[in-house]
Amino acid sequence: MDKVFDFRGVSFAYPGREPSLREATFEVAGGERLAILGANGSGKSTLLHLMDGLYFAQSGEVRAFGQRLTPESVERPPFGPLFRRRAGFLFQNSDAQLFCPSVEEELAFGPLQMGWKEEEILRRVGDTLGLLGIAHLRDRPPHGLSSGEKKKVALASLLILSPVVLLLDEPTAGLDPRSQGILLELLDDLHGMGGLTLVTATHDLELLPHISDRVLVLGEDHRIAADLPTERALGDTGLLLSVNLIHAHRHRHGAMVHSHPHQHTRTHDHAHGEGKDHLH
Amino acid sequence: MVRRGLGGLVGIATVLLDDGLAAGRQGWLGRVDARAKLLGLLSVLVATTFLRNLGPLALCLGAAWALAWFGGLDMRRVALALLAVPAFTLALAAPAAFNVVTAGTPLVVLCHLGGGHWGPWRVPEFLTVTDRGLFVAARFALRSAACVSLASVLAAATRPQDLFKGLRGLGVPAAFVMVAAMMTRYLDLLLRSAEEIHLAKLSRSLGGVGVAREQAWAAAGMGELYRRSRTVAESVAEAMVSRGYTGEVHTLRQGRWSWQDGTFVAGCLAFGAALLALG
Ligand SMILES: Nc1ncnc2c1ncn2[C@@H]1O[C@H](COP(=O)(O)OP(=O)(O)OP(=O)(O)O)[C@@H](O)[C@H]1O
Ligand SMILES: [Mg+2]
Repeated sequence: MDKVFDFRGVSFAYPGREPSLREATFEVAGGERLAILGANGSGKSTLLHLMDGLYFAQSGEVRAFGQRLTPESVERPPFGPLFRRRAGFLFQNSDAQLFCPSVEEELAFGPLQMGWKEEEILRRVGDTLGLLGIAHLRDRPPHGLSSGEKKKVALASLLILSPVVLLLDEPTAGLDPRSQGILLELLDDLHGMGGLTLVTATHDLELLPHISDRVLVLGEDHRIAADLPTERALGDTGLLLSVNLIHAHRHRHGAMVHSHPHQHTRTHDHAHGEGKDHLH
Repeated sequence: MVRRGLGGLVGIATVLLDDGLAAGRQGWLGRVDARAKLLGLLSVLVATTFLRNLGPLALCLGAAWALAWFGGLDMRRVALALLAVPAFTLALAAPAAFNVVTAGTPLVVLCHLGGGHWGPWRVPEFLTVTDRGLFVAARFALRSAACVSLASVLAAATRPQDLFKGLRGLGVPAAFVMVAAMMTRYLDLLLRSAEEIHLAKLSRSLGGVGVAREQAWAAAGMGELYRRSRTVAESVAEAMVSRGYTGEVHTLRQGRWSWQDGTFVAGCLAFGAALLALG
């Protein structure tokens, strides 16, 4: 199982809309950490839905674990249930993901649909909650949790199935710096331990080095603008400008107003005509 | 106006939903199996609706309070529901006491109406409180108070998530319980979006707005609310499919009944039967 995903010329449009994804072609290897980078509305969430077999390619072909994803193939055993177990999808909106009356039932939902034994499920619920340090939330209803706790419970509900791939849609959005840090460490550990494949959609440049080795950049024309190592993507100001992930930043130094491409992630030196160098 | 209504609604829902957090397993009543509580208290509640005399109704009301007290429930939370709702039913039941609504022997004469006709209705000579009317009003108020008390004891002693489990345990189809559970689960979210939409609009206006404007906003807000809830519903369905849902819900099995649970149900059934015998 070296190829986890294989997209060939995949296009997808919501009913009555312009395509939200155009002719996407790329592969994801097992154990890879891939980021999908793009501005708001560029099609990141749509792409993740296609990878998770929730939407289906209208032209082109999506393969996962060597099998073609179609509405029939993701329902038919043995591939269907196996695929659902292997691929976990962390939704952008945790409230949508947590639909059970209690955290325990939330975690048990996936395994129950897979037909696991009850004693096994209850044991794994305990283990998984312990792993994420949220054992005390077991009997709580999800709606009363903080956003950070909701994210952890949502993640736990995926991890209990021991997935091979995690598809994460803006996993750190809305989390405070400490919760963000904890989540990133956790993902790092999971990747390190079990060779988990991580695919993360984000528009947060700061996050990239922590969650990816490779970046798929989506342009605002809904095409893949670039597919390159994270280091190079972050250094390519022209590319980031062209997909509107950074903006020309206008500011004033004394009497002089000027603008230059600006990235809020790192400090940089630059010089003005009068030779006054400074740091942002 | 819209704002006050929404605020109140959000407040009520929050209290209802947050009950689950506080109503842990406190007191012995909290520890009785949810199925036993549902079965026992509901059967008493059904018996109550058949009672015709004031005595048994008062007995039932007293029993509900006693159960709350001796069951170790947080009396403040129970009292909130117990006091607020009977006050409301009293207001509803009060008109039945007057001769205009219920005919009967006058007990107290309140004022002179002068007889004659008012539209299609005949207006009596005097406005009085009748014996029959007082009885009907008292019965209505007592019965509502008893029913509400029983229901709030059930609600205060059981977390919503256990209540749903209990329903499933009593043979209510899993899909039905899931829909009911999701409705309460997302009611909170829906109300919060409603409030958000309204506040967002309010924050964009300075000072007061006319009633017409506010009504137009409410209408526009409903549309937006509908769109938002549709989106959430779609995402929920996707999240379920993503975790292996294929159209049939599988849920956790239930724990075993203890002898306390059995005793509780037996006690409730006996009490309900006794009430019915008293009439
Ligand atoms: N349910 C839907 N129905 C119709 N159009 C949609 C739907 N969801 C997304 N779109 C459209 O598809 C395009 C891509 O949306 P998508 O949600 O994939 O973007 P995204 O990159 O995830 O954006 P964001 O950063 O805001 O999450 C957008 O133009 C959006 O308006
Ligand atoms: Mg998105």
